[in-house]
Amino acid sequence: MRVDQLPLPRSTPSSQQRRAEAEQPLVIIVDDDASVREALSELILSAGFLPVCFTSTRELLDADVLESPGCLILDVRMPGTSGLDLQHHLAKNGNPKPIIFLTGHGDIPMTVQAMKAGAVDFLTKPVRDQTLLDAVIAGIAVDAKRRADAVIVKRNIERVETLTPREREVLREVARGRLNKQIAFDLGISEVTVKLHRGNVMRKMEAASIGELIRAWETLPAPMREV
Amino acid sequence: MTIAPNSLGETDSSATRALTHDLDRSGPGSGRSFATNEPGLIRGNMISDLERGRLSRVWSHRPQFLHLGLFITAYVLGCGFAQSLAIIPGTGISIWPPSGLFIATLVFASRYSWPWWVLGACVAELFSNFLWFHTPLPAAFLIFAGNALEAVAGAWLVNQTCKRPVRLETLRDVLAFVALAAGVAPVASATVGSAALSWFGIQSQTFATAWPLWWIGDATGVLIVAPLALVVFQNWRGKAQLSAARWMEACVLGLIFLGTAALSLSGYLPFAYIIMPPLLWAAVRFEFRGAAVALTVLALITAVFTISGASQFAGDPESQKHNQIMLQLFLAISAFSALVMAAISRQHQAAVLTLRQSVETLRERERELSLLVEMIPAHIARMAPNGEPTFFSKRTTDYIGLNDIADWDKPGTSRLATVVAAAVHPDDGPRMREWLSRSLATGEPYPIRYRLRRADGVYRWREGRAEPLRNQSGAIVQWYTASIDIDDEVRAQEALRDRERELSQLVDMVPSHVWRLTPDGEPTFFNKRMVDFLGLDVTDLDKQGISRLAAMIAAIVHPDDAAAFGDTLSHCLATGERFSMRYRLRRADGIYHWMSSRAEPMHDHAGLIAQWYGLCHDIDDQMQAEEALRRSELQLQQMIDAVPVRIWSAVPTGGPVYFNKRYQDHFRAVIANFETLGEPRIEELLQELVHPEDAPEVLRTLLSCFETGGGSAMRFRWRETDGYRWAECRVEPRRDEDGAVVQWYGVSLDIDEEVRAQEALRQASDKLAQATQAASLAELSASIAHEVNQPLAAIVANSHACHRWLSAAPPNVERAKITAERIIRDANSAADVVGRIRALFKQSTETRTNATLSSVIAEARDLVAEEAMRRGVRTSVDVGSDIPLVAFDRVQIQQVLVNLIRNGMEAMDSGADDGVISIRVRHIGDVVQTEVRDRGRGVAFPDRIFEPFFTTKEQGMGMGLAICRSIIESHSGRLWVEKNEPRGATFIFTLPIEAKAAS
Repeated sequence: MRVDQLPLPRSTPSSQQRRAEAEQPLVIIVDDDASVREALSELILSAGFLPVCFTSTRELLDADVLESPGCLILDVRMPGTSGLDLQHHLAKNGNPKPIIFLTGHGDIPMTVQAMKAGAVDFLTKPVRDQTLLDAVIAGIAVDAKRRADAVIVKRNIERVETLTPREREVLREVARGRLNKQIAFDLGISEVTVKLHRGNVMRKMEAASIGELIRAWETLPAPMREV
Repeated sequence: MTIAPNSLGETDSSATRALTHDLDRSGPGSGRSFATNEPGLIRGNMISDLERGRLSRVWSHRPQFLHLGLFITAYVLGCGFAQSLAIIPGTGISIWPPSGLFIATLVFASRYSWPWWVLGACVAELFSNFLWFHTPLPAAFLIFAGNALEAVAGAWLVNQTCKRPVRLETLRDVLAFVALAAGVAPVASATVGSAALSWFGIQSQTFATAWPLWWIGDATGVLIVAPLALVVFQNWRGKAQLSAARWMEACVLGLIFLGTAALSLSGYLPFAYIIMPPLLWAAVRFEFRGAAVALTVLALITAVFTISGASQFAGDPESQKHNQIMLQLFLAISAFSALVMAAISRQHQAAVLTLRQSVETLRERERELSLLVEMIPAHIARMAPNGEPTFFSKRTTDYIGLNDIADWDKPGTSRLATVVAAAVHPDDGPRMREWLSRSLATGEPYPIRYRLRRADGVYRWREGRAEPLRNQSGAIVQWYTASIDIDDEVRAQEALRDRERELSQLVDMVPSHVWRLTPDGEPTFFNKRMVDFLGLDVTDLDKQGISRLAAMIAAIVHPDDAAAFGDTLSHCLATGERFSMRYRLRRADGIYHWMSSRAEPMHDHAGLIAQWYGLCHDIDDQMQAEEALRRSELQLQQMIDAVPVRIWSAVPTGGPVYFNKRYQDHFRAVIANFETLGEPRIEELLQELVHPEDAPEVLRTLLSCFETGGGSAMRFRWRETDGYRWAECRVEPRRDEDGAVVQWYGVSLDIDEEVRAQEALRQASDKLAQATQAASLAELSASIAHEVNQPLAAIVANSHACHRWLSAAPPNVERAKITAERIIRDANSAADVVGRIRALFKQSTETRTNATLSSVIAEARDLVAEEAMRRGVRTSVDVGSDIPLVAFDRVQIQQVLVNLIRNGMEAMDSGADDGVISIRVRHIGDVVQTEVRDRGRGVAFPDRIFEPFFTTKEQGMGMGLAICRSIIESHSGRLWVEKNEPRGATFIFTLPIEAKAAS
């Protein structure tokens, strides 16, 4: 990881320090032009965010900063892998990091491609400070929300894991909005048993109401819902 | 005694027999034939026929009158002799010679003549009775009947028992004669005669006293007279051929005999039988004739002495009867002894003679055989059962060169082995030995051919054969071998075989196929080459149902040629014309070869075709070559016709001789009356074909070509069916070795589209140039915008940051100050870029100062140091010591250097790790040459990289090197690129030294 002209602290942060800063969102800047890189870094720093600079996408991929919360500011045209290629690469690897594109001479097809691929914003140089910072804030917010959702999904998955296969079947049928006796008929069990399973499901899933249970069910990844 | 009737059976012509048994006969005179008279034995049922036949035979067998007369006379004399000897008183019975004569005559005569002789005898006896006996006629008849019965019976018995003619030469004959004629026959006479005497009481004889006297008298007469009579009959015409010694002996014997007889019978010697030795001598030495004559003489002498009374047999009347009997006994015994002795002697003589003859014959045969063996033109040898040679014919020994078999003997080895080793050719020796041992072992005859060494050392071929002689039990007693010289034959055969082989080799070796057909086309011979080629022989063509010719055509002639081949051949066979044809023949591997075949008939004496002889050689290569030539010609023709150009040729003076098909089609399409135009003239053609505006020029060009002999090319418009089209025509001459024009060749091709396309292209090119100018400007603007935009973006961002640091509470002045410094730096950078661009377009020289390249290189190096470090690239600088000052624009040259160095680093970015950019400055002539060398991936398009907007980089604008080149060229220098070995590229630029300007 190469950090250019990081104002605070000047030296390379130790791993302990980085772990301490883990909760603070990191704004990653990738641009091949040193003066632009410096300027953007200064601007982000002055707005109170923590900037990290890379001269190329390869340097970025070599460093392990992508898992940290925050967002990316990418120059579209760079030697080696371009910004758009990086976006494509991250999407393929399931990394939903929010990306803000910055280019000197963007055109409409390029913009459309980037926005369709899920970019937060597509800005042209020179950029107004508020526009860039708004985009950065939006990106960080998207990232935070995504992370929170991921936590819930993870929790729900863990809870579903505790269900027995029969309870899972009952959960699925309930989530589809079927009545207890329909479920009993379909599964070939008595209604009382269905109610028993349903109660167990509510308890294990820590759902106070049917609506809560169905929302938790909805968060589950599709393969899991099929079973 | 003179009576000698003879040839009594002379009429008996039907059965004559040579007296071959008479070995002692002295002449042919004694060879009268005598009848065996078989016709008399006719057996018939009809008595009358038999009787008639017999009577006619009796008549036809009547004896000659002379013979009958002599017989009668002799008979009468015999009677007289008997009368004179009948000295015994009162009996009248004595020796009766007629009985001997009678029996001998009948024995000698044919049976059918017997009645005549009986009649003759009857007459004689009656006559004698009349003369001397004076017995009453009935008694005389009766006595004669007895005598005749005696004669007939005696003769019949003798003829039955003795072989005809009766010669009394064997003991058996003599004994039979004595027993039957002298013993049995007189019984009849004695019985009848004694009965008659006693009946009639003549001389008071009783039957008992008369009978012995009568019997012995008749027996003595038969014994003494019959042999004499037989001798006389048989030798009537013969001449005795006795040698002088025999005559002498006969005389001596006669004297001794007469002397002894006289002395003994006259009573001087006391014993009558002393006459026996001379008598037996005569019998032994002179056999039957001697005995007969001696007996007759003895009888006569005895009779004389007895009658005269001097004999001891004469005596007083008392003893007369006894003496008479004694006399008769004496005579009988003498006769018997002499006859027996004569027969024994005769037999002995005959045996001795036979033996001598046999020995002689045998010797003759042996000599003949030996001669035969020697004369046979072959080698004869004899071998013992174990194979040892025991005899070689003289030819053999002469051939081998040895005199005696014994010469071959060597100790230790068998004679056979020695012979084979010495005389047989070494090559044939083992075979010979094997053959011999096998033959000897099995006993089978076995022929063999081998070479045998002649005495002079020459080996000659022989063919030998051995046959065993076996005894009755089948064991081999001898081997007989014969061998004949077959050398000439073998050599002739060899010569023949050699010639045949040579001929056969010749036929087989000629590099062609030789074959032979019968007059009706059946193949009878293929030579070896043909057999090898076809993979089958004549005999392989024999198939059931179809002829050999048909089988051959089906098997080896190409199906496409088979019909023609068959037709041609049958036509030739029918007409006798020579056969000549080309066809394909199937080789053994199934590939068909072209053959040129000829056949001619051979005629016999009568002019008929005896054989067809054919020769056939492989012309496949030739045919292939011809085919290839034809194909290539066809291809060429097709190519000439197919190429989309019009081709023509002309004689040196310009008369056209050839137009290709495309040309002709064109003519037909354009010229209305082309078909009737005949020989086209070039002016007419041009007038018809070429655009009126171009025609004079074309004609002039062509004529000048034909005149000067130089080629030319021209463009003009053709008339086509749908108007005029542009064409290009080129004319070139073909020259001979002397340079004279042999032929003109021309091509005309349609270039209408090209002409039109060129026109269109020119117009498009003009438009493109304008568009390019516009595009170039737009791109340049974009590039400039990018160059300027970056510092601007940094300035804006820094300004915002500065503003924020200052607006913060409390304001971070420290950071704001750093940010402001950056703003200034970036703004200067932007201004520099703008200035450089302006300088680029203005081509200004105002900023040029004299400086050293090394300082500029150092600055450029510093500028890219950070990037070089990031990329891990080293830069090495090598500046020569004698580099003069050069006037140049410091910023521009610096930009060129940075640009080149950065290019080099980027080229090595994806390459190896040991990235080195080496910069070298050299003073060469009146220029300073600077090289920037990298080890990157090299330059793919060295010609194009200096063109504007040409880039191999993803983000490059393609302006860098173009700007560099224009900068260098604005300094009157040059910029180019060279390829490095093994990789990389070197960018080189020169700057002129302007020493005067610098000073």
